[in-house]
Amino acid sequence: MLEDNVYWALEAIVGHSNITRSPAILESYAFQWGFEIESAQRGEEPSRFGQRPAAVVLPASTEEVQAIVRICNEHNVKFKAISTGMGAWAGISSPRSILIDLRRMNRIIEINAKNMYAVIEPYVTNAELQAELLKYGLMHHAQGAGPQTSPLASHTSFAGPGFTSPYTGHSDRNLLGAEWVVPNGDILRIGSFDQTGQWFSGDGPGFSLRGIMRGWLGAYGGLGVFTKAAIKLYSFPAPSDWKWEISGTIPHYDWKVPPFWKLYVPNFEEWEQFENALYELTGQDAVMMATSSSAEGLAALFTDTKMEAIEVIFAGLLAKAKRYFIVLVAAHSEREFKYRDKLVRHIIEKYDGEDLIETGDISPRPSHYAESIRNMLGGHAFRFSNCFQSTHGGMDCISLAVRIAQENRPVKEKYIDKGVIGDDRGEGIWITTYEGNHMAHLEVPTVYNAADKESCMGYAEYQNECNRVDLERALGMPFFIVGDKIHDIFGQRTMNYPRWLRRIKAAFDPNGVSDSSHYITAQGDE
Amino acid sequence: MTLQEMEEMMDSCVRCSKCKFIPQIAIRSKRFSHICPSIEFFNFHAYSGGGRMILANAYLKGRIELGPDALHVLYACTNCGGCEVSCKWVYDLEPNEVIHEFRVKAVECGLGPLPKHQKYIELVSRVGNPYGEATDNRSIWSNGLELNTSPDSNTVYFVGCTTAYRRPEIARATALVLSAAGVNFRVLGTDETCCGSPVYRVGDLDRAVEIMKKNITDFKKKGIKRIITSCAGCYNMFKTEYPRYVEHDLEVFHISQVLDELIDDGKLKFNKDFHVSVTYHDPCHLGRMSEPHKPYDGEKIEVISQVFIWDPPKPVRQGADGEYDASRNILQKIPGVKLVEMERIREYAYCCGAGGGVKSAFPEFALWAACERVAEAESTGADVLVSTCPFCSTNLQDAIRSRESKMRYMDLTEVVLNSLEGVE
Repeated sequence: MLEDNVYWALEAIVGHSNITRSPAILESYAFQWGFEIESAQRGEEPSRFGQRPAAVVLPASTEEVQAIVRICNEHNVKFKAISTGMGAWAGISSPRSILIDLRRMNRIIEINAKNMYAVIEPYVTNAELQAELLKYGLMHHAQGAGPQTSPLASHTSFAGPGFTSPYTGHSDRNLLGAEWVVPNGDILRIGSFDQTGQWFSGDGPGFSLRGIMRGWLGAYGGLGVFTKAAIKLYSFPAPSDWKWEISGTIPHYDWKVPPFWKLYVPNFEEWEQFENALYELTGQDAVMMATSSSAEGLAALFTDTKMEAIEVIFAGLLAKAKRYFIVLVAAHSEREFKYRDKLVRHIIEKYDGEDLIETGDISPRPSHYAESIRNMLGGHAFRFSNCFQSTHGGMDCISLAVRIAQENRPVKEKYIDKGVIGDDRGEGIWITTYEGNHMAHLEVPTVYNAADKESCMGYAEYQNECNRVDLERALGMPFFIVGDKIHDIFGQRTMNYPRWLRRIKAAFDPNGVSDSSHYITAQGDE
Repeated sequence: MTLQEMEEMMDSCVRCSKCKFIPQIAIRSKRFSHICPSIEFFNFHAYSGGGRMILANAYLKGRIELGPDALHVLYACTNCGGCEVSCKWVYDLEPNEVIHEFRVKAVECGLGPLPKHQKYIELVSRVGNPYGEATDNRSIWSNGLELNTSPDSNTVYFVGCTTAYRRPEIARATALVLSAAGVNFRVLGTDETCCGSPVYRVGDLDRAVEIMKKNITDFKKKGIKRIITSCAGCYNMFKTEYPRYVEHDLEVFHISQVLDELIDDGKLKFNKDFHVSVTYHDPCHLGRMSEPHKPYDGEKIEVISQVFIWDPPKPVRQGADGEYDASRNILQKIPGVKLVEMERIREYAYCCGAGGGVKSAFPEFALWAACERVAEAESTGADVLVSTCPFCSTNLQDAIRSRESKMRYMDLTEVVLNSLEGVE
């Protein structure tokens, strides 16, 4: 509970209609995807209901956020800010905490087409930003979490690979500056803005601090509030008179595919061919998308409904799709397209592969091109059971991604045999290359049933085992490395990096008010 | 399904917020990316489709009580179904159905609906319409009209309360156009009573089912086999909701469907140009909400570990089979009329803001939502905003006045009438 004087002080900042302590309304902030796994990992009954915040505030400006944070420091109230707010890290961990819901801060402040950056507020979504950028012939990097999520959240606070990563990198690499209300209530504007008034560079002139504010993975909301982000833009490969046009009716929409775009699904018998082909392809910096999953994943990506996906799986895709990756060539001109098309075909031939689209084993529709570029394909994985989560999560090179996939398979099969997770034969992975070279991200999406206790417990156990495997076999840091406990476990074998994170936390958050449940505390897990 | 039976479904929500937006693939601008008027107006997550599922789930699990705040969240929703269209792009969840069942539960517990709703429900019970108007005035709209109606026809033009008492221009235009096309029909006059829509939408299921039974009995007694409505809400009730609770074999048509067919059959011919640019607003109850609830008898089977399907396949009510084309077909056939579309159309059309008991209980919110829709209509550059529902008509016209918009509002039947020389 908050004392009345604290509540009234917050109310004075945001106004009566932008604050609540009504249990009914607060309850909608206590429910999160992933809480059921975290509660299972703590040995509790799995539940998506977690800690209810003491209040929720809806600020409309950086100044209001700053005032709220100062009140929290003054009265020893913890806080966490959310933008679109999907995932366990969007929840709070102790009763004397408030949630700062940033949905009223939803402006695209600037689209600077000449210097190719956009400045956005927290509640601008990927789809909204992309829709506006297309009018300038530009696009941004959208994280795999989906088109309805916040690019600011990903760019400032997460790793954020996505489906266009071969072309646009990952979120961390695209941040050109940020406005940051640090946990004590000070405002920092990092990147070139402070020096020049323009956000064209993340590393100066002016302070970068990107390593401080996010490190490798981001602070998951545990180190203050980001109120603006400047992000890098890319050329959208389509003619200037091309427009995003949708026709048809749900679930089978049609989309006007830009000229010089084409999807391929090169399929290989063995991992070695897959790996070499992927290295060679992405090394040419020639594709918009280069991503891999299981046969089940392929069926889900290029169909429109669960039933359709299941029919495709059992129609033969399961036997046919071995080691494949999906390639999207999106060229600016016919000449560019011809070169890239030739390149893809050459690589398929060189490594004895075949294109599963050409063989008719899978048939992406125009709408799937749209979903590729809008970063909607990951959402298709939810169709199987309304739920999945990811384990592992290395962001390293293609060969490490392949190695994790191989090491993961027998581990995953154990849990499939127990019947607690979805049966993808241990093949369910997501690999995407990034930055047009040898880099790749891998995570292991795994279907489970959130409404089934045994399934949640089983998935939680599987995730714990994956973390142990990552550590013992040096497979890189897990994607969702959150909280003191797991940081400390990994820190033992990685130069004790949590010691540095804690120093940052202590310096920036002397009162420990910025909720650390998915980051790190200054004092450690006692 | 009862709320209890929906618990597993509610546990499956991943709080992704897709329910707040039109299907992501359809987003063409930031300005018109939203689908849910309620979350846009009230901002707290509880006021979204997903938020209301969490609320219902929390209530079911005993975590919250149905107090005034919870009731505010529950009823400050037009129950327009937009959230469900976007959600079902990926998930097997039915947030709009949850909202309705939660309202039913609130009424069962004696806590719902809200006082404004109770007042009009009492009026429906007492005088057969939610406006408290005298039954004798139900036919005033036809005064002075020379209609070619047939008292013994088995086809009835069911005028509906809002059209009869608040939007008589729609009733007049509908009746005149039907007459001009030589349709053999009758009207019920003072024998017509409320279809039950305003009662049903706020969760008073028992009373709504009583009304449904009474209407069906009356129709049978009068030998009626075919109903034509000019109100999307009445259409939705007879076509989609009645069959869930009352057996009937009546054919139900919306006026747009009837006119589209009459034009195709050459029975209705336009003989006057109407040079105007129009944009069309899909009423929720004619569009996504009119998709039938097909009876289903099957079971859930595990086809792959932790992946369940319905055997036999369960029909998915996703909005695809709503009525979207009839009105557009008609508008495109009228000489001189140019149809320009808004960004949010068909199954992902933005709600006018009036439905689900919102216009009576939350007039400020209703007007705000209608202003949003009119702003979108204005952005097309059209001169006229056309729709085909008296409830949308009232709210959108309120917004046109409030915004001092240069747009004009016309019902589809008025546009048709305007293109028929010598019919008035």
